[in-house]
Amino acid sequence: MALSRKARRSIVSWLLLSPLIVAVLFPFAVMFITAIKLATEVLKPTWWPSAPQWQNFVSMWEATRFGAALWNSIYVAVLSTVLSLLVSIPAAYALSRFRFTGRGFVQQFLLVSQMLSPIVLVIGLFRLLVALKMLDNLNAVVFVYATFNIAFSVWMLQSYFSTIPKDLEEAAWMEGATPWQALRRVFLPLALPAMVVTAIFSFINAWNEFVIALTMLRNQAGYTLPIQVFSLVAGRYTVEWHHVMAAAFVATIPVAIVFAWLQRYLVRGLALGAVK
Amino acid sequence: MNRSILTNPHVLIAPAFLLAAFIILWPLFQIGEISLNSVNRFGQLKGFSGLENFAAVLSDPQFLNASWRTVVWTVGIVLGTILVSIPVAMILNEDFHGRGLARIVIMLPWAVSLTMTAIVWRWALSGESGMLNSALRGLGLIDENIQWLAQAGTAFPVQIAIGILVSIPFTTTIFLGGLSSIPDDLYEAARLEGASDWQIFVSITLPLLRPFINIAVVMNTINVFNSFPIIWATTQGGPANSTDILVTYLYKLGFSFGKLGEASALSLMMFALLLVFTILYVRLAMRGER
Repeated sequence: MALSRKARRSIVSWLLLSPLIVAVLFPFAVMFITAIKLATEVLKPTWWPSAPQWQNFVSMWEATRFGAALWNSIYVAVLSTVLSLLVSIPAAYALSRFRFTGRGFVQQFLLVSQMLSPIVLVIGLFRLLVALKMLDNLNAVVFVYATFNIAFSVWMLQSYFSTIPKDLEEAAWMEGATPWQALRRVFLPLALPAMVVTAIFSFINAWNEFVIALTMLRNQAGYTLPIQVFSLVAGRYTVEWHHVMAAAFVATIPVAIVFAWLQRYLVRGLALGAVK
Repeated sequence: MNRSILTNPHVLIAPAFLLAAFIILWPLFQIGEISLNSVNRFGQLKGFSGLENFAAVLSDPQFLNASWRTVVWTVGIVLGTILVSIPVAMILNEDFHGRGLARIVIMLPWAVSLTMTAIVWRWALSGESGMLNSALRGLGLIDENIQWLAQAGTAFPVQIAIGILVSIPFTTTIFLGGLSSIPDDLYEAARLEGASDWQIFVSITLPLLRPFINIAVVMNTINVFNSFPIIWATTQGGPANSTDILVTYLYKLGFSFGKLGEASALSLMMFALLLVFTILYVRLAMRGER
């Protein structure tokens, strides 16, 4: 029996994608396999462990001070996401609903701040925190992350908000609802999915950030996960690679799964934002 | 009339704008001030020095090397990413068995922090016990271990390859959005006229994808130009500064060598360059709107 057109296309598609898929999955394989190797086996150039060492994930927790770094990462990512949403939602609402003086200026300012990565400002940010006596302070990092997320959040939210017809709120006003009631009963329920998606991306950005944390957090007690794992590798004479890889694996996989599940929303959001 | 803060756009904008202005403009102003002063390594200003810091940066051979390498880095990654992402997006846009899974796998690198990715590659690429060498030897592709990150000749190309790999998800996402905006009947009409696949690609897909390619080029250029963790977590610019790009050179100037004046001057020059990219982006985006 001949293969159907779709079956043939499936085989060709998977074959064409296979080099890229191998390259993408290779680091995950390295991470996972190293993580379950015996400490003495790690430096041997063999691929598979003779026996998987699941307890590495347990011993890693103590050896890499994973718990403290995990807590710091959660603290910074959650608070910066909340803060950036709190200021971005009203801003995006205003930009999508009203024409006002200064609208163009605000949009340009957000665009420029989107283009600026923290690295270009890092000297100035460092001085700012020194002046405020907030170096080594997780809350300072929260503010910086939230700020650098505003442009992205407003951009995403605005592109979704613009797809919610304004008539709906106006109809509610006509019926005698106050703007606040109209917002709460009509607009917010419709806008909720967009807010959730934006929140998750802000969270991931903060979760993964490197330069600011590396510069502003000098004391190991305050390290977030990327910095903690980096500190186990950088400038060390001996590196406990099985612990490092176990830590990287645990820090990475939950976020990667959530992200992979949500990426289809991004296609829509980014495409709307990019060309609109 | 509804008199409520909810209908006053300036009030709604204010918190976001003030926060961003404080945390972005104040540091920018500081950088401007430091760059025009001589400054000691503790950050104390020692008097106006004109453009001396700028001159010191521009005459540093390290700066010239890092600049040139930044061009190679940016062009290499952006070009490589676009060339891979167009066919990948076209495949993912077709309906085939397991497409959802293929999309998820290809998007995965986006979700992982660049730092973690770089650390994993640093280990995978290690010369003696790295799993890439083991795999390549197992497949019979190499006989001797390659010291991927310990020599300038291989370290930088490998870093560029990692950069391409992590830029593909974002770029493919943009292109998928573009492809879904092309109406199917255009393709059907072309097929009825007897156009070949290649003709369809060149005369329909590519022109209609054009605005998305423009956006992807500019946004990737900005991201890649600013990208710090891949190089910092694999080689920290080494061996012997042979993989330094401008951002890692800037970081070393400021935080390893304590040359805050020069680092600030360099920041401002990079800021100016980013502004040019941004203006380019705005013009491209505006053209897309019309």
